[in-house]
Amino acid sequence: MATKNTQTPVGAPTKGRKALVYLSRYWQLYAMLAIPMVYFLIFKYLPMEYIVLAWKKYTFNTKLWDMEWVGWKHFIKAFNLNAADWGQESVIESLKAILRGDFWLAVRNTIMLNLLDLFIGFPVPIIFALVLNELKLKRFKKVVQTVAYMPHFLSWVIIYSLSLQIFATSDGFINQLIGWGVQLFTGNKFDGIRFLSDPKLWVCVYILVGIWQSFGWNSIIYLAAITGISPELYEAASVDGANRLQKMIHITLPGIRPTIVVLLIMAIGNIVGSGFDRPFAMRNNDVMDVANVISTFVYTRGILNSQFELSTAVGLFQSVIGVIFLLGSNWFSKKMGDRGIF
Amino acid sequence: MRKKALALLLVAACATQLVACSGGGTGDTGSTNQNKPDPGKTNQTEDANGGSELVDGKFKETKKITVEVYNRNNDGGTDPKTNMYAQYIKDGMLKDHNVEVEFVDVSRWEEVTELNNLLAAGTAPDICVTYDYATIKTYADRNGVQDLSKLVEENKDITPHLWDWLGETNIYWDKDPETGTLWAIEGKRATSNRIVTFIRQDWLDELKLKEPTTKKEFEETLIAFRDNADKLLGENADKMIPYSVSYDVGWRAATLIESFIDPDISQREFYVNGFDDRKLTENGTKEAVRLLNKWYNDDLLWKDFTLYGSGDTTEDDFMKSGYVGAFSHNWDYPFRNGADSINASLKRLVGEDAKFVAIDPFEDSKGGHTKYVTSTAGDRKIFFPKTNDEPLASLLYLDWISDPEHIQYLQLGDEGVTCEKLADGSYKSIAATGDAIINSQYNIDYTITCNGLNLGDAAKTAATMANSYAEIEPELVVRANEIANIDAVHEQNVNVGNVESENGMGTTLGEKRDICYDKAVAAPVADFDKTWDQYYKDYMSAGGKEIQKEREEKWVSTYGDVQELPKK
Repeated sequence: MATKNTQTPVGAPTKGRKALVYLSRYWQLYAMLAIPMVYFLIFKYLPMEYIVLAWKKYTFNTKLWDMEWVGWKHFIKAFNLNAADWGQESVIESLKAILRGDFWLAVRNTIMLNLLDLFIGFPVPIIFALVLNELKLKRFKKVVQTVAYMPHFLSWVIIYSLSLQIFATSDGFINQLIGWGVQLFTGNKFDGIRFLSDPKLWVCVYILVGIWQSFGWNSIIYLAAITGISPELYEAASVDGANRLQKMIHITLPGIRPTIVVLLIMAIGNIVGSGFDRPFAMRNNDVMDVANVISTFVYTRGILNSQFELSTAVGLFQSVIGVIFLLGSNWFSKKMGDRGIF
Repeated sequence: MRKKALALLLVAACATQLVACSGGGTGDTGSTNQNKPDPGKTNQTEDANGGSELVDGKFKETKKITVEVYNRNNDGGTDPKTNMYAQYIKDGMLKDHNVEVEFVDVSRWEEVTELNNLLAAGTAPDICVTYDYATIKTYADRNGVQDLSKLVEENKDITPHLWDWLGETNIYWDKDPETGTLWAIEGKRATSNRIVTFIRQDWLDELKLKEPTTKKEFEETLIAFRDNADKLLGENADKMIPYSVSYDVGWRAATLIESFIDPDISQREFYVNGFDDRKLTENGTKEAVRLLNKWYNDDLLWKDFTLYGSGDTTEDDFMKSGYVGAFSHNWDYPFRNGADSINASLKRLVGEDAKFVAIDPFEDSKGGHTKYVTSTAGDRKIFFPKTNDEPLASLLYLDWISDPEHIQYLQLGDEGVTCEKLADGSYKSIAATGDAIINSQYNIDYTITCNGLNLGDAAKTAATMANSYAEIEPELVVRANEIANIDAVHEQNVNVGNVESENGMGTTLGEKRDICYDKAVAAPVADFDKTWDQYYKDYMSAGGKEIQKEREEKWVSTYGDVQELPKK
C-alpha cells in the first residue's frame, strides 16, 4: 500500500519511459531469465494444449484439434458415474456404487498414504536436523549425515528388493529371526508375519521405508536453515541461563519456522499428487486394495491400456485438486501470520 | 512494473510459440495429407496390375521397410537388430525383392507399452507383431491400423509361401464377419502345446514314491515332500517349496484349473465365459482355486508367490537350486536356454540325477486329462500401421519369411555352428557362441509367421525337436510333448465380429484377474469364499459381466441359439 501511494503521483506520467530505462539497464538479467522461461513454456505450458484430449477421442496420425469431440464421456467413465442407478436406488446406495470404482479407491489410497507420510514422515527430518545440530563432534556429525542421506540415491526398485530380503514372509530376515526364536523357546513352527501381503502391515512398511529413504535428504534443507540463525541469539540465551532444550525450542525451531511452513505448504499441495516409482515398485497383488494410487491407476489404465483420454481426464482432475490444496494451505499460512510461498 | 514486463514477455513468447507450433502442425498434416493418398493410389494401381513395379518379384527401385523384432535382453544374447540371422534376412530380402529391411527392437516384456508409444509418435515399424488381438483392435479403433483384406487378396499370386503356410484359416482368422475388415494376420503355431506339470524325479525315487496320476496322489506326494524336507534338502529344509506357482496363478496352475471345468462344456458356454484366457470365469475354476488355497495353508505352496512380479527370476532360481518339488508351466519350460536351463542347472548345482520330468496328475470329472491348448492361430498377430507406406513390400516380407527354406535356416542356423545333422536326417542343437547365439528358441522372434519347430517333414521335425534342447535328454522332451497332447482340446475360432465391451479392457481385467486368483489362494481357509466372491465380483463389475452379456448376444446373432459351432 505504502509503495503504491508514493509511486502513483510521481511515476505515472513517465511510466513508459521509466520502464524503458529500467529495461535498458537490466536487460541482461531478463535475457538470462528467458532461458528457463522458454524451458517452462516448451515443456510445461505448451503441452497443456493436450488437456483437450480429455474431451476428445484420441486417434493416431491425426492433428489434436481434428480429433472428434466426445464431451464428458471420459470423465464419466473415469469417475465411475455410470455405476449408479439413480432412479432405482437411494442416493446413498448410488454414491456407494460410484465410490466402489477403481478411480475413487485410487484417490482414497493416494490421500491416505500421503496423509500418513505427512503426519509421520514430515516431522522426522526436522527432529533429525535438530538433534544433529546439537552434536559437538564435527566429524561424527558429518558421517551420520552422509549415511542418513545415502538411501535417497537408491532407486525404488532396489529398495523394494531390499525390503523383500528383510520383510518377506518365508525367507525374510525378520521372519527368520522371529522363527528361529520361536523354535528355540517354544519348539513350535512359526508361520511368519505377512509384512508385505497384509494390507495394514504393508502400509506400515511402505511409510517406514519411505521415511528411511528420505529423512536424511530432507533434513539438509533444515540444517542449512539452522546455519542461518545468528549465533548471537544463542549466546544471549546462554547468558540468560537457557539450557539446550530451551534454546532448541525457543531459538532453533522459530528460526527454521519459515522453512518448515514453505515445505509444509508444498507437501499439502501434493496431497493428491504422488510419485510413481515408490507405489509402483512396492506394490503387489495382495495389497492392491491399498496400493493402487492415482499415478499407478493412470499408468495401468492410460498407458498400458492406451486409454490416453482417460488418463488425461484423471490427470487434469488431479492437477485441479492439487492447485486448490496449494492455494488453500498458502492462504491458511498467511492467515496464521507466516509468509506463504506467493 | 516488473510484473507487467514479465507478463508481456510471457504473452509474447507464448504467442510466437503457438504460432510456430500450429504453423508447423498444419504444415505437417498438410504434407502427410497430400502424401497419404499418393502411396495408397500407386499401391492400388500396382496391385491391380499384379505389381507393375515388380520385375521377377523384385522392385525396380529399392524399397525400405522397418520390421519389429523382440528384444529379450537375455544374458549373453546377440543384438536382434544386427546378428547373423538379422543379416541373413536383410541380404535375402534385398536379393529377392530389392527391399531394404531395418529391424526395430521392442522389448519382449514391455511390448504393448512400447507399441503404444511408437504408434502414438507415428514411428511404429511397418510390420508390427503382438500377441494380443484386443490391443490391435484398440489401435484399429484409433485409426492406427491398415485394413489388409484387399492387399492380401489382390496379391495372392505373388505370395505363395504365405498362403501355403498360413492358409485361409490363419490369414482370415480375424476377418470381421460384418464389415469384412482384416486388421491382422494370425501367425501359425507349429505346436499347439501349452502347459504341463513337472515333478522332481529324483525326489520321487529317494522317497520311493510312484509317479502321481491323480489329484489325490499328487497332494499326498506334495505332503511327503513337505514332511521329508530335512531328508531332501538338509540344512536348506526351510526353503522347501513342494509345489510352486507364481503371481500368475491362472497360467501356472492352468492344467489343475482346466481339470475342474466340465469336460462336456458347450462351445457356447466356453466362449461366453472365455474372455479371460486364464479361465477365471469358467465354471469350476473356483473349486480349483479352493484346492490351491488348501494347499497354500497346508504349506505346500510358496508363501511369497504374490510378492514377485512378471519377469522376476526368483522362482526360477529356486527351481534351479533344487528347492522346488513340482510346478506347472509351458510344456518345455525346464528345458529352455541350454546350459542355463532349469534341468541343466539342477544337474550342475544339485546332482547328476536331479531333474524335472513331465507328469499328468490332474484328472477331470470324467477321468480324462483335458487340456485346453491353442489352435494353429492364437499366436502372434501381424499388423501394418497406417504409417506403413510400403504395404506391398511388407507383404512380400511376410511371404519371404514364410518360405520353408528360410524358416528352416532361421530355426536351425548353420550346420556345425548351431546344429549338427544326425544319421536319421534330423538335427541336434549344439551350444553356439558369439554372433550365432539364438536369442529365442528356434529364432521365433524372426519367423513371425511360424512359432515352434517346423521342418516340413513331421517325423524329422519331431526327432529334431527332441534334440533341440542343448544339454537336455531327448526322452524328457518327447515325454513332455506327449503329455502336453493328451486329451488336448484345440481352441476354436469363434468370430462374431467386434465385441465392443472388450475393447481396451485387456490389461485392466487381466490385473483384476490376477488379484482375484492371488488373494483367494493366499486367504485363510475360513475366508476363502468371502475373498473369492469379493474379488470375483470386482472383476465382473469392472467389465467382466458386460463382456459376457455382449458375447452371448453376438453368439446368438451370429450362429443362432445353438450350443456348438457350425460344422465346417
